[in-house]
Amino acid sequence: MTKPRTLRAPPPPKRFGWPLASSSCLALLLAVSAAVGACADIEEAPPPPPNLPTVAPQSGAPRLSIAQYRNAVRDLFGASVVVPAALEPDTSLSGFVSIGSAQSAISPRGVEQYEEAAYAIAEQALSTQAQKAALVPCTPKNPTDEECARAFVETLGRRVWRRPLAGDEVTQLAAVVTGAGKTLGDFYQGAAFGIAALLQAPSFLYRPIVGEADSTSPSGKRLSNYEMASRLSFFLWNSTPDDALLDAAERGELTQPQAVRREAERLLEDPRARLAFRNFVTEYLRLDLLDALSKDPTIFTYYSPDLGPAAREETLLNFETLAFDRQTDFRDVFISQRTFVNSKLASMYQVAAPAADGFAEVTLPADVPRRGLLGQISFLSLYAHPTSSSATLRGKVVRSVLLCGEIPPPPVDVNTAIPEPSPNAATLRDRVKIHLEDPFCASCHLKMDPIGLGLENFDGIGRYRATDNGATIDASGELDGAEFGGPVELAYTVRNHPDLGPCFTRRVYQYATSFVEKAADDDAIAALAARFEANGFKVKDLLLDIATSPGFLLAGEAP
Amino acid sequence: MKTKKLDRRTVLRGLMGGAAVAIGLPALEIFLNDNGTAYAGADSFPKRFGIFFWGNGNLPDKWVPAGNGPEWELTEQLMPLAAVKEHITVVSGMKVATGNSVPHGSGPVGMLSGAPYPIGDETTFAVPSIDQVIANEIGKDSRFKSIEVGVQPDAYSLSYNGPHSVNPPETSPAALFKRIFGPGFVLPGQNTTPDPKLALRQSVLDAVKSDAERLQQKLGSADKARLEQHLEGVRGLEKQIQKMQENPPSLEACLVPAEPKPEYPEVDGRPPLSEISRVMSDIIVMALACDQTRVFSHWFSSPVNNTLYPDATAGHHQLTHDEPDPQPQVNSIVLYTMTELAYLVNALNAVKEGESTLLDHMALLVTSDVSYGRAHSIEEYPILIAGSANGALKKGVHYKSPASENTSKVLLTLSRAMGLVFDSYGQGAGLVNSSLSAIEV
Repeated sequence: MTKPRTLRAPPPPKRFGWPLASSSCLALLLAVSAAVGACADIEEAPPPPPNLPTVAPQSGAPRLSIAQYRNAVRDLFGASVVVPAALEPDTSLSGFVSIGSAQSAISPRGVEQYEEAAYAIAEQALSTQAQKAALVPCTPKNPTDEECARAFVETLGRRVWRRPLAGDEVTQLAAVVTGAGKTLGDFYQGAAFGIAALLQAPSFLYRPIVGEADSTSPSGKRLSNYEMASRLSFFLWNSTPDDALLDAAERGELTQPQAVRREAERLLEDPRARLAFRNFVTEYLRLDLLDALSKDPTIFTYYSPDLGPAAREETLLNFETLAFDRQTDFRDVFISQRTFVNSKLASMYQVAAPAADGFAEVTLPADVPRRGLLGQISFLSLYAHPTSSSATLRGKVVRSVLLCGEIPPPPVDVNTAIPEPSPNAATLRDRVKIHLEDPFCASCHLKMDPIGLGLENFDGIGRYRATDNGATIDASGELDGAEFGGPVELAYTVRNHPDLGPCFTRRVYQYATSFVEKAADDDAIAALAARFEANGFKVKDLLLDIATSPGFLLAGEAP
Repeated sequence: MKTKKLDRRTVLRGLMGGAAVAIGLPALEIFLNDNGTAYAGADSFPKRFGIFFWGNGNLPDKWVPAGNGPEWELTEQLMPLAAVKEHITVVSGMKVATGNSVPHGSGPVGMLSGAPYPIGDETTFAVPSIDQVIANEIGKDSRFKSIEVGVQPDAYSLSYNGPHSVNPPETSPAALFKRIFGPGFVLPGQNTTPDPKLALRQSVLDAVKSDAERLQQKLGSADKARLEQHLEGVRGLEKQIQKMQENPPSLEACLVPAEPKPEYPEVDGRPPLSEISRVMSDIIVMALACDQTRVFSHWFSSPVNNTLYPDATAGHHQLTHDEPDPQPQVNSIVLYTMTELAYLVNALNAVKEGESTLLDHMALLVTSDVSYGRAHSIEEYPILIAGSANGALKKGVHYKSPASENTSKVLLTLSRAMGLVFDSYGQGAGLVNSSLSAIEV
């Protein structure tokens, strides 16, 4: 195996330090997010060091994504409840559904679909005696038992709306329950209409991040206790808070960073945290698009519609195992020679298929230069054309998504034709020569194509090939000053790129907050990135640090 | 209530290739206007509006006809429309004037809204698209304010209510059928029996509205507007509940179309676009004939789509950029698309309403995201109009712009033809104060 070459000199080590914008308890706790002591000594805190990172927190009201809606219904009513498939499609903005959900508005059709889903769920949620007993905390005396209706709405409402209900809210919803109970002659049928109301209400469908006054916060506002419960659980579980988290909010603990950290640590030990991290990776790499992969089966004879979902599972297992089981340097996901395959993927990677159905961990063949994420079928097939590979698409994702580099949109009014393969130009490298030689094209394509050409040994669905149209593929190149001889060295070059960790930090931060950060957040993100590096690039530590960072705890002005 | 005896219902079985299920109903009364009284004459049927959109443009040399005014010849790419030529107006030589900063984005946003693509933003509209501007006026009283359908499996829509407020298309024919002709559909002539659950649904919506309004008070202006859009959807549901409690007018041409197949799987990695488009068109036509909606958009394919068409050697978008001239495969895809447009126009034209047809009572705007795809050009923009909007528009003419006029003029013409009283249309460089009088009656 080739040894990775050294990149340009690594950045000088940064001292990690959180803002001590004031001498408040909050600021000190932010400064030492781990192992914090009591707040008693706050007033004696040392004077803030110079050049403090500050943040520009933002407020809003993200709407639940499809995954969040489904997860919340599962956690509220049980895994047996089937949510209808048709919900308003998620909107991805700035690379994340999490961000699109805070900016996009729902269509009339989407509101119709919420209504259909709410009744379908409500009908299932009270269909057995056990469910009735679990959701209704009293025995109704008659179909219009108002006292029981109020108790039901109050108890379930707190869980569904993730906050206690106000008196007038209880009154109106209880009237829905008793009104329907009267018409239908049955309390529980009436209660189903109450569930339908709770689930269609914006208090369930939106997650307000409005905040409450906090004189110690630089923005003057922090998230309220219940807002924090929601933000934390939707970040770390991609789902609704459990009773323990709501209870912590009720006790007023979630405006205190050490309690937030304690809860975050608890949440990360739950299996839901793995699902949530998978959701992040899916959004980060747009793995959702693997469901609609378009590949010409006459060219790619290994292609079948089950390839995309299998390839996604492979990538998610790699990320999940690294972050939650091995708990080692996340950058190793780019160089690993181990991966997870089912029988479909095994045939394409030319390794033995797992004995049982499903996925098993394997070591990739030594004689094929395939390593890590950039060698996985998910990445290689998604960032390619239906009938061919694409150096530009692959390079663009590495440059913009993984390294946070900027690439302007393609120009208009230019001839973008790539010549057909010919004896003089058989490989893609020869055919896209103009991209790198014409200064007009090269100004952008130099940022993308050399990376993608390093992956030309993999065709449009990720199968290995040594030649293209009969000519040997040259997969050497250079990335920001580091030369590589082929895909394995490229994998190490990306893994060791100084922008990889900071960019990953920025991406998780955006995802966690549901907003595109402001320039004023840059120092805070840099500090998180430095700590990520200092901690050996461990994902769980990064998630904890972000969950207790000012950009996550503080509220700001609403747009 | 006034009623008007109509001719025997047009039987659509032949037109729809046997797909339609005829439901025999006596002709009792025709469309009601907003006052609940019947429209007086054949030409007083309500106006309808539609968009047919495809992605990745055309080949202008093979598209723009010779001739001007009523005398013009079909070109290679318009040939599939031969049977409906007399109903098609070609508008050529126009330019999207709002700039071309984002390939495949600037063109359709400028074309469909008359306003520039918002700077630094991702695909969105600064103002509502033309279909929603019109729907806000003529769609208020129908069960659905507008219907959006997509044909490609991953088609998206460019029907916008405002910034980041898209109306996603229904891409499943079965789901579209269920939405329009499923349990919420009341057959014309059928007397409704009051369902007590409708009142309960309404009480739930009242609680939802109260909650939305309370939440709005806590939010900033942008989020308030997002909640207002949500409330707009709730009011749409209330309209549907109201319609289910009314006895609908009998509509001569209203039939329940055949129920589509649950799935339309790919064949050799290629989606059966023709079959899906025709099923969608049949449902849309009956949604209009049954007055379930008065505005629709048919998103046949999306900007930048890389769909594999039958016999194509690469995806559509890749072909527009890489296929050598004269791009025979790109040409075939435009012909394929125009064949499906012809099916839709034919189906609209086959529905008899009073003395004329459904097509005559509407305007259909046909356009794309670019003209010449390889260069992302937004000059010589592809624009067709079908239907006369109850006689407000000329039919079957070619308007050749003498001086690269602003495409917003088409939007001003169409909105006026729909009865909107506008002095101007568009924003910034897209703003126009005059319409295309040459195609107006």
